[in-house]
Amino acid sequence: MAAEVVAAAITDIELMKASQIGMKAIGAGLAVGLTGIASGIAEMAIGSAAVGATAENKDVFGLVLLLTVIPETIVIFGLVVGLLLLF
Amino acid sequence: MFKPEQMSRLLIVASKDQMAPIVTELHRNNLFHIEDYVEAGAEGYEGFKIGTPLSGATEASGDLVKIRTIQNTFSIRSDELEVKKRQKQSDLEVMIERDLPAIEQEVEGLTVKRSKLETKVKEFEQKMSELSPFIDIPGDLDLYSGYSTLSVFAGYVEKEVSLSVPHEMFSTRGKGKHFIVVIAAVEQRSVVEAALQEAGYQAVTIPDESGDPKERISFYTRQITLMKKEIGEINQNLDAIKEKHAGFMVACEEILKVQVERAEAPLRFATTNETFVAEGWVPSASVENLSQALVKATAGKIFVTVLPTDSEHDIVPVEYNNPSFAKPTQMLMDVYSRPKYSELDPTLMLSIVFPLFFGLILGDVGYGLILLAMCLGLRKYMKGEEGTRLLTVLRNASFSSILFGLLYSEFLGFALPWKPIMFSRHLNIGAHSTGHGPQIPELMILAIWIGLVHITLGRILGMINHARQDHGDHRIKAVMANFGWICVMWGILMIIWSIVQMPYMPDFTTLPKVVSSVNIAAVVGAVMLIAGVIFIARDSGLELVELPTIISHVLSYARIVAVGLSSVAIAMVVNYIAIGMLISPQLENITIIGVLFIILGVAVFLIGHALNTALGILGGGLHSIRLHYVEFFTKFYKGGGKKYSPFGLNRRFTED
Repeated sequence: MAAEVVAAAITDIELMKASQIGMKAIGAGLAVGLTGIASGIAEMAIGSAAVGATAENKDVFGLVLLLTVIPETIVIFGLVVGLLLLF
Repeated sequence: MFKPEQMSRLLIVASKDQMAPIVTELHRNNLFHIEDYVEAGAEGYEGFKIGTPLSGATEASGDLVKIRTIQNTFSIRSDELEVKKRQKQSDLEVMIERDLPAIEQEVEGLTVKRSKLETKVKEFEQKMSELSPFIDIPGDLDLYSGYSTLSVFAGYVEKEVSLSVPHEMFSTRGKGKHFIVVIAAVEQRSVVEAALQEAGYQAVTIPDESGDPKERISFYTRQITLMKKEIGEINQNLDAIKEKHAGFMVACEEILKVQVERAEAPLRFATTNETFVAEGWVPSASVENLSQALVKATAGKIFVTVLPTDSEHDIVPVEYNNPSFAKPTQMLMDVYSRPKYSELDPTLMLSIVFPLFFGLILGDVGYGLILLAMCLGLRKYMKGEEGTRLLTVLRNASFSSILFGLLYSEFLGFALPWKPIMFSRHLNIGAHSTGHGPQIPELMILAIWIGLVHITLGRILGMINHARQDHGDHRIKAVMANFGWICVMWGILMIIWSIVQMPYMPDFTTLPKVVSSVNIAAVVGAVMLIAGVIFIARDSGLELVELPTIISHVLSYARIVAVGLSSVAIAMVVNYIAIGMLISPQLENITIIGVLFIILGVAVFLIGHALNTALGILGGGLHSIRLHYVEFFTKFYKGGGKKYSPFGLNRRFTED
C-alpha cells in the first residue's frame, strides 16, 4: 500500500518536472516570438522610410541602416531571456 | 594613428599669365584641395572676381560629351577595365583630332539604324496582333472595306448573337468570348448595333490591308526575322567597335577630363585684372615639395605661403592617416561619417575590434573558409575601390572566424576532434545527443564584459575628444559628464556585485556590512552612481533621460552570444535533418527509395548550409558593425568631416 503511494507520488513528481520543462520551453518560445514580432513591427515603418530616404540621397545609407537595426535590440533581449530560461 | 593627416593652409598668388603652368603643376601633383572662392566680400578679398576658364575649355567639354555618349552606348565603365598599357597624352591628342569624329559618326549611324529597325519591328508586331483574330474568318482582307451600302462589324462578343435583319455572319469560338464579323445593309446598322451591344460587343479595328490574313502574317513574320537578323549584325558591329576602341575611349575620357578640370580650375580662384589668388589645403608633409615644384614651374614668378590655421572657424578637409592594414576599414567609417579634423579617428580600433566581434559571432572553421574563398574569388569581379575594400574587411573577418572556430571547436556545426578551448557553444540537438551543452551563462558574462570594456573605452575617448575640441567652462563640464557616465555604469555594477554572486565576476557579497544588509561595495557603488548623475546633470540635465541606456547598451552586447548561438543552432539542425534523419538510416540498408532519401539529404545539407552562410555573414557583419555604430560611436564620435579631395586625378590609362 505504502509502496504504491510512494510510486504514485514519484510519477507525479516526474510528471511535474516534465511539465515544468515544457513550460520553460513555451516561455522561451513566447519570449523570442513576441519580441520578434515587436521588432518586425518597429522595423517595418523605419525600413520603408529608410528605403525612401536612400532613394533620394544615397549618402544617408549608413545612417538609415543604423536606424533600421535599432529595434533589433528588442528581439535580442528576447533571445537572451529565452536562452537563460532554457539553460 | 587616431588622428587624421595634418593639413596646412596654402596661399598661392601669381600673375594671370602664370595661371596655366600653375594649374597644370597643381593638377599633376594631385595634392592641393582647393577652397572655392565665393564672391561674398570676404575679408581681404574686396574687389576680387571669380576667374574665367582657360582657353580650350569649350572644345574639351564638347569632346568629352561625345566620348561619354559613345561610352554610354557601349556601356563601357572605366573602373571595370583592366589597364593594359598607358598611352602617351600627345599621341592621344592627335588621335582625338583624327579618329574621334569618324568613330562617333560610325557609332551614331549604326545606333540610328538600329533604333529605326527596332521601331519597325514593333510596328509589324502590332500589325500581326491586329491581324490574328481574322485568321480563321474565310475571305480576303480587302473584302472588309470599300462598301457604300454595307456596314462591316468586327469584334468580340460574350455570347451568341442572332439577328432579325438580313445579314452575313462569321464567327470563331474562343475562351469566354467569340470573335465575330457581321456584314449587313447600312439601313439596318442601328438594329445590328443594338443586338451586338446586348451581347457585350467590343469592336476591333479592321486592318487596312489586302490579301489572305494568314499570308500577311507569315509575310510580317518573315520581315521581322530578317530585321532581327540585321539588328543582330549591327550589334555585332558595335561589339567589334567596342572591342577595338574601348581602351582608346577610356584613355580619351581621362585626358579630356584632365583638360576640362584644368581649364575650369580658374572658376574656383579669386582674380583681379592682372593677378589671381588660390587658397587650399595641402598635407603638411607635402607643403615643401609642392611649393618647390610650383616655383620651378613658373621660374620663380609666384608667391606661395602657409597661412595659420584657425581651428575654430576653418573647415579643414580630412584625409585618413592609418597604417596600411587598417585602410580598408576606412570604408566602414565613411558609411557612418568621416571624422572631423579635430576628432579622434577610431578607424584603427574598428579595424581590430570589428573582425574580433565577427569571429566571436560566426566562430566556425567551415563558414570561415567558405567566406574566405568567396572573398578571394570575388576579387576578380569587383574592380571598384569600395568593393575591394569591403572584400578585404570581410577577408580579415573570415580569418578571425576561423580562429574562433578552432577555439569553439566548430566546423559547419560539427565538433572538431577536440574539446572547445573557449566556452562551448555545442547544443544538444537530436534524441541521442549527450554532452554538457552550451555554457550560456559563461558566454553571456563574457559578452557583458566585452560590452563594459568597449563602452568604458568609448567614454574615455569621449573625454579626450571633449578636452580637445571644447573651450572654456563647457570643456570641463563635458569631460566630467563623460566621466560621470563611467561612474554611473560601474556604480550600478558595484551594487549588483554586492547583492549577487556571478561566475567570472568579482564577488563582493561577503564584504563587511555597513548598515543591515548593505555592505561597503554597495555604499561605494551608490556614491559613484550619485556622483556620476551629478556630473552628467551639470553638463546637461536632459541627458539624464538617457540613463537607462547604460543598461540596455551593455545588455545589447549579449547579441554577440545570441546571434552566434542561433547560427550554431541552425547549422546543427541542418546536420541533424540531413545526416541523422535522412542519410545515415538509409546507408545501413541501401534500397532504391533509400538512394532518393540520400539525395534529398544531400540537398538539405547544401541548401541549409548555403542559407546559414548567408545569414552568418549578414548577422556577423551587421551586428558587429552595429555594436560599433550605435553602442560605441555614440559615446564619443560625431563625424561630419569634409573629405579631402585634392585637385588632380590618379591617371590609370594615360601619362604625360
